[in-house]
Amino acid sequence: MLKIGIVGCGKIADSHASQIQRIKGAKIVAACDREPLMAQQLGDRFDVQQLFGDLSEMLERARPDVVHITTPPQSHFAAAKACLDAGCHVYVEKPFTVYEQEARDLIAIAEERGLKLTVGHDNQFRRAARQMRELVKQGYLGGEAVHMESYFCYVLGPGDYAGVLLSDKQHWVRRLPGQLLQNTISHGIARIAEFLKTDSPQIITHGFVSPLLRSMGETEIIDELRVVICEEEKTTAYFTFSSQMQPSLHQFRVYGPKNGLAVDQDQETLIRLPGLRRKSFLEQFVSPAEIGRQYFGNSWMNIKSFLRREFHTKEGMKNLIESFYRSIRENTPVPIPYREIILTAKIMDTIFAQLAQSRQDTSRTTSPWQQDENAPLVGSDASSGQR
Amino acid sequence: MNQAEHKIFVIEPNDPVLITGAAGFIGSAVVKNLLARGFTNLRCFTRSLSGVERLANMAVRYPGTRLEIVQGNLLVRDDCKRAAKGVGVIYHLAAGRGEKFVPDAYLNSVVTTRNLLEACTEQKMLRRFVNISSFTVYTNSEKPSGRTLDESCPVESYPQLRGDAYTYAKVKQDEMVAHYGKEFGIPYVLVRPGSVYGPIKGDLTNRVGIATFGPFLHLGGSNQIPLSYVDNCADAIVLSGLMPGVDGEVFNVVDDGLPSSRKLLRLYKKNVKRFHSVYVPKAASYVLCYLWERYSNRSQGQLPLAFNRKAWRAFWKKAVYSNQKLKTRLGWSPVVPTEEGLRRYFDACRMGGANA
Repeated sequence: MLKIGIVGCGKIADSHASQIQRIKGAKIVAACDREPLMAQQLGDRFDVQQLFGDLSEMLERARPDVVHITTPPQSHFAAAKACLDAGCHVYVEKPFTVYEQEARDLIAIAEERGLKLTVGHDNQFRRAARQMRELVKQGYLGGEAVHMESYFCYVLGPGDYAGVLLSDKQHWVRRLPGQLLQNTISHGIARIAEFLKTDSPQIITHGFVSPLLRSMGETEIIDELRVVICEEEKTTAYFTFSSQMQPSLHQFRVYGPKNGLAVDQDQETLIRLPGLRRKSFLEQFVSPAEIGRQYFGNSWMNIKSFLRREFHTKEGMKNLIESFYRSIRENTPVPIPYREIILTAKIMDTIFAQLAQSRQDTSRTTSPWQQDENAPLVGSDASSGQR
Repeated sequence: MNQAEHKIFVIEPNDPVLITGAAGFIGSAVVKNLLARGFTNLRCFTRSLSGVERLANMAVRYPGTRLEIVQGNLLVRDDCKRAAKGVGVIYHLAAGRGEKFVPDAYLNSVVTTRNLLEACTEQKMLRRFVNISSFTVYTNSEKPSGRTLDESCPVESYPQLRGDAYTYAKVKQDEMVAHYGKEFGIPYVLVRPGSVYGPIKGDLTNRVGIATFGPFLHLGGSNQIPLSYVDNCADAIVLSGLMPGVDGEVFNVVDDGLPSSRKLLRLYKKNVKRFHSVYVPKAASYVLCYLWERYSNRSQGQLPLAFNRKAWRAFWKKAVYSNQKLKTRLGWSPVVPTEEGLRRYFDACRMGGANA
């Protein structure tokens, strides 16, 4: 039986606790939060017996095998390091760390101690995403990825998260170098990182504060982001984060030399995009029907999953946790390669550095009374992400 | 201002009064009521500055009144100390409403309340801590259908099984207040309003029915709906903070002349908008809630526990309501009759916004 500890008892900890409870051979033995009442409410609802207000105390007294870190990102590095030092395997919620170097350091410590780490990119472990990975492995693309498109949108209206974020100037999200983006985009970036082959892709970033947020008096939180990623003039990718576009997409498309694949996270669909065109009018007559057949197949698969009671909102998280625990028990490779974790962190560092640089440039070139808060922020220095 | 009335109150008209959540729907009505009663030293605590202008405008009509706006966050202990400093009565209305997840609701209701209570332990002038709870905390499970649901009814002992973040947080918040009352001698009152409505656009309470699955499912039938018009509710809240001899008491707040669910739905359709509704008999809604609960548990939460027998008993089991305790202990009576209150509510709904 794996003994599990949870650090940080906020909203996402609920998802972790409810998924861990569904996994055989794992038991939550301890929960910890700096605010003891928060640990108490989690313990109360998930029947966790040992509750702590201090991480080192939890590690010493409860001695968990695995610790899930679900605190705000600023504390991920220190908490994960403390857990590794105590000999625990660690599942860190996204974003893995605030900076790439911290990610590298944690991975180095884990490898040195023979411990395992993973990051909460659970969307990549949902049914459609897993099937896509399998098809890529089987060579469906016909070679390495030529181009990718990753959409990760976020609904941010006056009555939603924006209200909380805008009214609270001390909100922890504001204190992240990449603010709102840092807390959200890693899901979409990691999808791209999975298929990149080199470690230093070129990155061009364009970001701005949406008209909606500007109308609410916000000038700092960038909620519209477009990124172009390019490696060795071989593989390219577009990443889109938008709080305003509708539909609010969570999609990933990857195109190879022969075929392409499209995953829609909201609809839980995987569509094969064959490269081969049909002859003459058959392309217009048959191909749409073929795509329709695929959508129908996806619907049926989702219904079957539901009937089998495997269609939980956080099914991807359960799959990732299970895979991680299996890798610990059987000492097999971790479900998310460390290279992918580091590359995701590196791309994100670069994006935020470029946005910061552009903001500085805009401030320098414009006198304070001419400053245009609406000016977009653009950058292209791939190395500026280094801490 | 009624001088005789002020003589029996637990504080003087110029003693500082703190109202948390002052810019909210009920909070601003409480501020208006206190001003009308001649209280001249109000401290309005708000998280954001939206709605603050409206509060300031209210005070303009009462010359010599000090209405202090304190912007802060009850999760920050220093903000709580700043808010509670030297106050005679606290009306604690700020809460995590509309939160879908228990940790969020708990953080914004229970942790905030604990912080405020902790700040109160250092205050020697405090005469009353009025905690705004809700009807939702009652189980309504122990007695037969149609009985009177009053202050003596039991509260949910396992609120986590209700499947509703707000209920869980409110039960725990009440427990926290009672704990501080017992351990630290903080004089408190728990006020539990029913469905508060007023001259702003809002959906019908889910005690009438729900539109979650497309057509409006009318679940209330002949049940009484525990309505409380916002001004009447504010009056009850204000009195519970001022009247002597009620420390540790609980007050339910409902108006007189409560309509049945069927009547309210009919009036809403007639006065606001026509729509199709399907009546679901009590036995059928109970069975559906039971099946949903069973499937939710069996599937380990594939369907969230949104519908269950506890929720059915709390919202759709037949009950009648009493405001007798409010009337006898606080001398409260509703200022706005239900008929007039509903007219204002329907007008606002038709006009699509506030219609004060």
